[in-house]
Amino acid sequence: MQKIIIIMLLIVSPFFFVGIINRVKAVWAGRKGSSVFQPYYDFFKLIRKGEVISRTTSIVFQITPSINIAAILFALLIVPTPVSGSVIKFPGDFVLFAYSLALAKFMTVIAAMDTGSSFEGMGASREVTFSTIIETAFFIVLGSLALLTGQVSFETIFVMLNISAGYTVLVKVLLVISLFIMLLTEGSRVPVDDPNTHLELTMIHEVMILDYSGPDLAFILYSTALKMVVISLLIADLIIPFNMLFLPALGITAVILIAVFISVGLVESLIARLRMSHVPQFIFIMTALSLTAFAIIIFFLRGGF
Amino acid sequence: MNSFLLGTILFSIGGIASIFFNEKIKPFIFLIFAVLAQFFLLPQSFGVLTNGGMIQLQLNFSEPIGSAFIRLDPLSAFFVSIISLGGILASIYSVGYMKMYKGESAALSSYYFFLGLMISAMLLVVTFQNAILFLIAWEIMSIASFFLVTFENEKEEVRKAGIYYFIAMQIGAAFLIAAFSWTSALSGSLDFASFGAVLTHSNSTSILLFVLFFIGFGTKAGFVPMHTWLPLAHPAAPTGVSALMSGVMIKTGIYGILRIILIVGVPDYRLAYGVLLLSVITGIFGVLNAIAQHDLKKLLAYHSIENIGIIGMGIGLGMLGLVYNLNAIAMLGFLGALLHVFNHFVFKSILFYGAGVVYSQTHTRNIDKLGGLIKSMPSTAIMFLVASLAICGMPLLNGFISEFAIYLGIAKSFSVNNLALNIAALLGISGLAFIGTMALLCFTKVFGICFLGSPRKEFNHVLTDKDFSFQLPMSFLTALIFVIGLFPLYAVLLLSKVISQFLPSNFIFDFYNLIPLFNTLTYAFIVLAGLMGFFWLIRSLLLRGRQVKEFKTWDCGYQVTSSRIQYTSGSFAQPFLHLVRELVPQKIKIVKEWALFPKEAHMESHSQDFSDRLLIQPAINFLNKFMNMFSWIQSGKMQQYIIYGLLFLLFLLIWIFGAS
Repeated sequence: MQKIIIIMLLIVSPFFFVGIINRVKAVWAGRKGSSVFQPYYDFFKLIRKGEVISRTTSIVFQITPSINIAAILFALLIVPTPVSGSVIKFPGDFVLFAYSLALAKFMTVIAAMDTGSSFEGMGASREVTFSTIIETAFFIVLGSLALLTGQVSFETIFVMLNISAGYTVLVKVLLVISLFIMLLTEGSRVPVDDPNTHLELTMIHEVMILDYSGPDLAFILYSTALKMVVISLLIADLIIPFNMLFLPALGITAVILIAVFISVGLVESLIARLRMSHVPQFIFIMTALSLTAFAIIIFFLRGGF
Repeated sequence: MNSFLLGTILFSIGGIASIFFNEKIKPFIFLIFAVLAQFFLLPQSFGVLTNGGMIQLQLNFSEPIGSAFIRLDPLSAFFVSIISLGGILASIYSVGYMKMYKGESAALSSYYFFLGLMISAMLLVVTFQNAILFLIAWEIMSIASFFLVTFENEKEEVRKAGIYYFIAMQIGAAFLIAAFSWTSALSGSLDFASFGAVLTHSNSTSILLFVLFFIGFGTKAGFVPMHTWLPLAHPAAPTGVSALMSGVMIKTGIYGILRIILIVGVPDYRLAYGVLLLSVITGIFGVLNAIAQHDLKKLLAYHSIENIGIIGMGIGLGMLGLVYNLNAIAMLGFLGALLHVFNHFVFKSILFYGAGVVYSQTHTRNIDKLGGLIKSMPSTAIMFLVASLAICGMPLLNGFISEFAIYLGIAKSFSVNNLALNIAALLGISGLAFIGTMALLCFTKVFGICFLGSPRKEFNHVLTDKDFSFQLPMSFLTALIFVIGLFPLYAVLLLSKVISQFLPSNFIFDFYNLIPLFNTLTYAFIVLAGLMGFFWLIRSLLLRGRQVKEFKTWDCGYQVTSSRIQYTSGSFAQPFLHLVRELVPQKIKIVKEWALFPKEAHMESHSQDFSDRLLIQPAINFLNKFMNMFSWIQSGKMQQYIIYGLLFLLFLLIWIFGAS
């Protein structure tokens, strides 16, 4: 029962968090800003519309939004929440989690290629380039967690994480920063990408979905927002102990998620988008941090190098 | 056992029989024999796979071979089923594909003859358990495949590739001959069963022998740095053969390595780490180079190297499990490796067949000349897409299952209190993830450029893939992708007897833990597929009755004037190749003229194979230089040769009189 409530809450929440980011940016810029519920209005407006589909495209273009939304929702079922654990769990479930996200990426990229537009090809090319770094780093993060806890499933990893102490604080800080970088990259936010404009040559994600309209576009916007929630849940898992009561856990999780998205908004307000050639360096920070975390765990757990 | 031998011979007989028929009937004659062979081969190998045990036949030869065994144990049976499946699929596919060579009756005769010979030889390679017979079968396999590679021998590049292939195979075979003769000299017998006494010790001789075996078999399999023949030979061969070579033949190298491990039992820990490290390097190296390719078949060849790396990681993990007596890890490692051997056969065959269909219609292998093929050959495109998703290890499909087993084995070794193993695990998990995402990059590129977008070149004829011999093998394999992907438990159970050969008998407990795991995977995949269907349904319902307009691609207000303005494979891969420019050096030539307005420009890029440049070429140059030092012997003057003859006679005279 609790699981169902939590999953339903998470399923309806993504646009709220996007609304928070937009509001933070507006307030920081001295504007009043739109309601945090504005993305919901946009979503329902798109859902009600018809579509324009490019003649160049094929069936790949049309099935992609549905597959994307399904794959990311599926990833949400695998990620545990500090409140209720995960819905689907088995040894090695994090591999399926990562590969579900990769499936969504694969489809988005070939859908972009399907339009035959050089803009979208450009975005697609960049998306896959950066993902080679980010996915590798993500598996180093997972490896560090498996090393630290000796577990191979998301839920048991995070349960075990909370009873160990000492140097784990440092490890957790490093991993939280790593995952935050992943959140910015995968969620296509500043400083990697800019969700507000899509006509400039520096865009990645927004340019890949240029040709979508109507319900398909609504699906894609939802998938992107949901993907950010999924990754920020991992951050919350690292911070919050898994042995709390339902209501306090729910409250703290909500606070952490909101804090994460406020930070995303602050980053967007404070930092300019990086030059495209500097983006890999930014993402490599994640690799470096996760490797450092791994080294620290090895040092304390196995007693030296 | 007799039916196995009969099935094996049938392929060769089919090849010989087809010589006597005319060009149109040849393929069907061969096909009939290939189908017949299945009735003898598959029941037997499936029987051994499900029931375990071993079927063997003793052959008595005169010295030096002596009595020799043909054995069909689960490991051999597993490879026999892959080879016979690969054989029949290749013979079906050849019916349509070889229509390109209409009127070349003699060439077709040799094609079917050597195809039959190669398949028979491969079947014998995986069952002969006697060093000399094994090497004979091994050489027949290499030579038959050499003649298949050089099928289009009127082309200069094909001849070059063929000779390169031949030499590489002979170098590999030289290592094998050395290893086998050394081992049998020490053990005093040519039978594999007696090798255990020599190889199980952890002394320097047995380690050296293992390394010799690994180099010999690894040359066939395509481990870096012995892989350089693959990207040359695969594109040169007719596509049915490329698929057979990539999907099946290189796996005989893997078979050899596994057979040696089986004989060795618990390997030395240094060997286990070495295999794992080399496999990670092989995997990363293969896919890095694949990304840089423009030639469709060459690209797929590099992906074979990548997948051999993944298989090798499974083997290395299994060896580590054996070394540290960790049954669960060893089991997952060997399971991943064996399943990936089969999976790679499945999706790589589809990809090569798809590439062959494209080539037979467009007569180009250059990715940048293609585009929009999904419109003219939709079913090929969809099956190519499924295979691409599978090779990237996407959920729902078979590639995920084998990679998952390896990932899980690696993740489990993090919990072992052993520093070296933990660091190897980090290397493995990040290496596998890196390989996976690079494969994603590469296959979005291939599929996106070849099949999507608009055509980059106009063809005067209609492109079609409607030919049963194209569709049948590909759709059969595509179905296999889904069956293994959705119901992995059955594949795992079918492999259980093979895995049990490698492990001590108390592993059964760990094996039963896998059953709920793979059942959960099935349920999870059903949820995922259900979600996909659900959202597709919602989308269809939403759009029902609404206006869905077709229009040009929105290009930010700029109207596309030419389909050549689309992204190409070079431009798609450029940002990544720029990141890894140290590892995959590219030669880029730009010809650009600037007047008041830019004039016609030209740009080409070639990637260089690291090991070809640093290892093979210098070796060839050295050999050339060294041999040139003796070139004065061959002066071409008749007088000089007569002097050689006289000197030789003189030498004989001295020798004979000196001896007496």
